[in-house]
Amino acid sequence: MSQTDTAESTANRTDGQGVSTTAGETVEETRSEWTNYDSDGETKVAVEDLDVHYGDDHALKGVSMDIPEESVTALIGPSGCGKSTYLRCLNRMNDRIRAASVDGTVELDGEDVYQDGVDLVELRKRVGMVFQSPNPFPKSIRENVSYGPRKHGDIETGLLARLTGRAEPEREARLVERSLERAALWDEVSDRLDDNALGLSGGQQQRLCIARCLAVDPEVILMDEPASALDPIATAKIEDLIEDLARDYTVVVVTHSMQQAARVSDQTAVFLTGGELVEYDDTEKIFENPESQRVEDYVSGKFG
Amino acid sequence: MIAVPREEYREALDELRADVESMANDVLAQLLRALDALESDDREAARAVIEGDDAINRQYLDLEGDCVELIALQQPVASDLRFVAASFKILTDLERIGDLATNLARYALAGSSAVVSDVRLGEIGETASGQLRAAVDAYVDADSEACRAIADRDDALDAACQNASDAVVRELIASDSDRWEIERLLDDVSRLLLTVRDLERVGDHAVNIAARTLYMEEGDPELIY
Repeated sequence: MSQTDTAESTANRTDGQGVSTTAGETVEETRSEWTNYDSDGETKVAVEDLDVHYGDDHALKGVSMDIPEESVTALIGPSGCGKSTYLRCLNRMNDRIRAASVDGTVELDGEDVYQDGVDLVELRKRVGMVFQSPNPFPKSIRENVSYGPRKHGDIETGLLARLTGRAEPEREARLVERSLERAALWDEVSDRLDDNALGLSGGQQQRLCIARCLAVDPEVILMDEPASALDPIATAKIEDLIEDLARDYTVVVVTHSMQQAARVSDQTAVFLTGGELVEYDDTEKIFENPESQRVEDYVSGKFG
Repeated sequence: MIAVPREEYREALDELRADVESMANDVLAQLLRALDALESDDREAARAVIEGDDAINRQYLDLEGDCVELIALQQPVASDLRFVAASFKILTDLERIGDLATNLARYALAGSSAVVSDVRLGEIGETASGQLRAAVDAYVDADSEACRAIADRDDALDAACQNASDAVVRELIASDSDRWEIERLLDDVSRLLLTVRDLERVGDHAVNIAARTLYMEEGDPELIY
């Protein structure tokens, strides 16, 4: 995972109270009414009063939203609504943006990920990320998958390890196979693991990126429009995979495809322009009978 | 002025609503004509109802196809989805009421319905057709209150049908006709019982239409089934 090997030394978090929204009390009221979603599952990630500013731009306004474990949570909304910002707060990817400031709490298994002393490499190992465009390294398929575990020191395969007899080629092979199997790619690449990953199709590259993410044994997988660059068949494979992964992992998906959110997710959060979480509920409820007229209009394509 | 997005889609939804209303009006006309045929032994009206059922069935198939097409091509969600789902089911209710109207027309052709004086078929028919009229209006106006009132009124129709059936049976038992005459009467009497049963079913379908309209408006999934 490329993002895990760059540990930011400082988080740009401010410690003051969240800036009050200009939208006023009525928004606050409806927000608690329609976003107070209580799933049957255990909470994996608990987010409370999350405010994010990019300089003067208030990108996320007081979002409170708990994500249940071993399920798929979809985040939908028009461009600029704050859904990707929310996603990026969960493993502190926003720390990479100098102008970003974050208020509120994000807890992973009850531990605040923004508290001092949090190891960002460890955090991003536990909370992996898959991006919109597949971004495999220009290396072999095998190396792409084993890159993360090697970086984290979970397996040793380097020249020095080989010279000193500490190399673990069999362990690496098992890990690569298991990760590719789990990402539903093994059958397509098992006979060419040493080929360059850039020779794979877009859909295969994306599944390779998911395998790369799985190789470090994450608990939460964040996906930012993981299928928007793929054709319908490749998209269907990714969607099947997302549903399958939710049996063992907590998956959070940002998507612009409302049908995709409807197909793959257990619960859906609707963010609307202005960085506001408007409604969060079971996916069936959001698409069959949403409470908010604005959500109704958005999901039916009446605006946005 | 900002253009409304998905204009064609919105037009297709409006068209579906208008087409379902139009079919409902045709079905209601069939029902009223069949009731008239029963009341006045009008054989010509009865035959017209039977012939008219083909047109109802064609409308039903066309509109069901329109619903499937909307789902396939436009993927409606939220209130639009509930509207299409409710309409899809309401179309079936309307088609069945069309069949019941045809049944009534056939009974009219088979003989007189005025065989038991205590049975006021006209009143029962009026109540049943009134329920259908109210249900169609509630659907078109998306009126939840009217839907609930229709459901409440169904008990009275059921009771009237039950009383009518009891009266028919009582009349038969009390009949002092000889055996041969009773056998001749049996045809008329069983036809009358079927007429009452079919009118009661018209009322049940009207309640279904109201329940589906209520689902469309309020989203309680129990009501669509």
